Amino acid sequence: MQGPATPTPSALREALQRAGYLADEDLATTVWLAGELQRPLLLEGDAGVGKTALAQALAQVQGAVLVRLQCFEGLDLAQAAYEWNYGRQLMAIRLHDGQPGSVKESDVFSRDYLLERPLLKAISQDGPCVLLIDEIDRADEAFEAFLLEVLAEYQITVPEIGTLRAHHIPRVILTSNGTRELSDALRRRCLYHHLDYPTLEREIAIVKTALPEADTRLVEDAVQFVQRLRHEDLSKTPGIAETLDWVRALHRMNHHTLPEDMAVLLTTLGCLLKTREDRFALGAERARQLVEGRRTVGVAEKAPANVVAS
Amino acid sequence: MNLQPALAPTEALAGFAALLRDHGLTVGVAEQQAMLQAALRLGGLREAPVRAAWRAIACHSAREWRLWPDLFDRYWHPERLRGTVRVSGQTRPTRDLRQAVQQMREQMGSAQQPPTSAKSAPQTAADASHTGQGDSDAGSPRAMGGASRHAPQVEALHRRDGQMWLPQELGELQRLARQITAQLRPLPMRRWQPRQPGKRLDLRRTLRRSVAWGGEPLAPAWQVRREEPPRLFILADVSRSMEAHAALFLRVARAFAQAAQARVFVFHTRLAEVTPLMQRDSATVQEKINAVTAGFGAGTRIAASLQDFARVHARAQLRRGAHVWVMSDGFDTDAPDQLAEALRSLRGHGARITWFHPTRTLPAAAALQGARSHIQRFVPLASLADLAAARHLLH
Repeated sequence: MQGPATPTPSALREALQRAGYLADEDLATTVWLAGELQRPLLLEGDAGVGKTALAQALAQVQGAVLVRLQCFEGLDLAQAAYEWNYGRQLMAIRLHDGQPGSVKESDVFSRDYLLERPLLKAISQDGPCVLLIDEIDRADEAFEAFLLEVLAEYQITVPEIGTLRAHHIPRVILTSNGTRELSDALRRRCLYHHLDYPTLEREIAIVKTALPEADTRLVEDAVQFVQRLRHEDLSKTPGIAETLDWVRALHRMNHHTLPEDMAVLLTTLGCLLKTREDRFALGAERARQLVEGRRTVGVAEKAPANVVAS
Repeated sequence: MNLQPALAPTEALAGFAALLRDHGLTVGVAEQQAMLQAALRLGGLREAPVRAAWRAIACHSAREWRLWPDLFDRYWHPERLRGTVRVSGQTRPTRDLRQAVQQMREQMGSAQQPPTSAKSAPQTAADASHTGQGDSDAGSPRAMGGASRHAPQVEALHRRDGQMWLPQELGELQRLARQITAQLRPLPMRRWQPRQPGKRLDLRRTLRRSVAWGGEPLAPAWQVRREEPPRLFILADVSRSMEAHAALFLRVARAFAQAAQARVFVFHTRLAEVTPLMQRDSATVQEKINAVTAGFGAGTRIAASLQDFARVHARAQLRRGAHVWVMSDGFDTDAPDQLAEALRSLRGHGARITWFHPTRTLPAAAALQGARSHIQRFVPLASLADLAAARHLLH
């Protein structure tokens, strides 16, 4: 693998941590292994659990260029890999119009006239590169089949030129939200990791790393609230990004703990709940229960005196 | 790693791969090579990294990801599982007459010796070395493995009179499944997708293509309205009360898994996806389903299973136009109002719920009575003829 090599999984984990991404040991091992075996890494998990952030942090750690391909319905070769720069080709032909024999076909079908889209760009990088293929489940099956060549051989075949091989094999990270089953062929070419919502401790650590200036008490209470909220029957479960947004919002509003006034709390919940149904499902009463859950379950049962004191 | 010194690592790994394959994971030679490579690079002595690395190599989907810790421990650390129910892919003694007689003799010969049929995968690392020998000690973990409830209970799923299916009946079921699948309307989307020939001119793409010919639209691009194939989810109740009917349900589910790419789940106290087992054309599907469900406790938790289904397993795929077929008698050990709540939440995702019940009349279960408003249709299903009769209703 190109770029500054990371000798062990734990070194990679520490490097990722310095880049602001707290990976658990299993994830660090998997990312390290993907580099060692030169295999793409397929990350699955709900939205907002840090799939895309991992690619960004990895690029930062490796000092690599991050090339991102955002997939969508109808994504085709011309948008993902390469396209001929027809305008430039025509211009070249017109410029040499009066001079017979001066322009050969091979001249206008050379690399100069090729528009690089993300896949070709990643393959033709001279230095280390992280290729992020985001939300692959949104692309069509046909595109998935095309990707197989790129992911297995790290090469792209352009009929007019030939096969373009990667000088430096890029580290490829694919992410999927699971809205569509991916083909077995694609899955088998990748290492697989399923990212879940983080545990309480890990999420607190993540928020503290991202927002060191926020009050510790606020971070702990807010994360507990979000963790509890994830057990509610919501149509969009809040991810880590939402937690960060929410804590950031509360911090900006100069709160040092969760606001006692439910009306204030509810006005900020737009950071966490992103659909109308979810917003209406969580009234003031339910929000209070979720906030107070921490006191009854966490502290009060063991030492009620503490609660009174606090 | 807890390997016995006498056992070659490759042999132990091959045994592990066989166990993984038995549980529906795709682990071929390439994966085994990658696993060996990973172990070598990580230094095979430290377990945690090897475990994580192998998980990344062997698992290819969320279902397999969740299965992994259990399978890994079962094979490499059988001692940790002492006292729990152990599950293997091998639960059904064969129905071949000669082997059955042989087995009876063996059982009479030694009361302690458990029945042995052809071994499939070794169940622990220690077993891997004995794979060729075909004997098993009474105390070995495998002897306790294999859906280790009493044999007759496990048998019940596949030793029913009504379960002997003739090839023409199977053919009829497949044909019915294809017919019904054809009736399930594909869901028209708002978006258009490129298709030659199509209904509508894709102006943007046509103009873009025309640049190659100096602006002449020589190669018009067309598009058609995008249609999503209907999504079908089948949830079959395999609890004790449904033992008599589970075989039929699973056959029906399997026919639809093949005809309509349905995702199939089984439940009694927990929910487990069995789609990969259904898509393979193998005679041992039934025993594998037994294996999957063997660790389940008693009772039927329909509401909890449905909630688990909606919130974990099919979360991203339950959309408008999804069909959810529940095959159950409706007897639920959860609180009655919980079922209504679970069904309401499923409906909230836009899914249409059809309830297949094995009785002629509507199920009398209290939970189901309270939840009737959320169920679009009740269909009796006790035989193939019932499915044939209901085919016009399923669309």
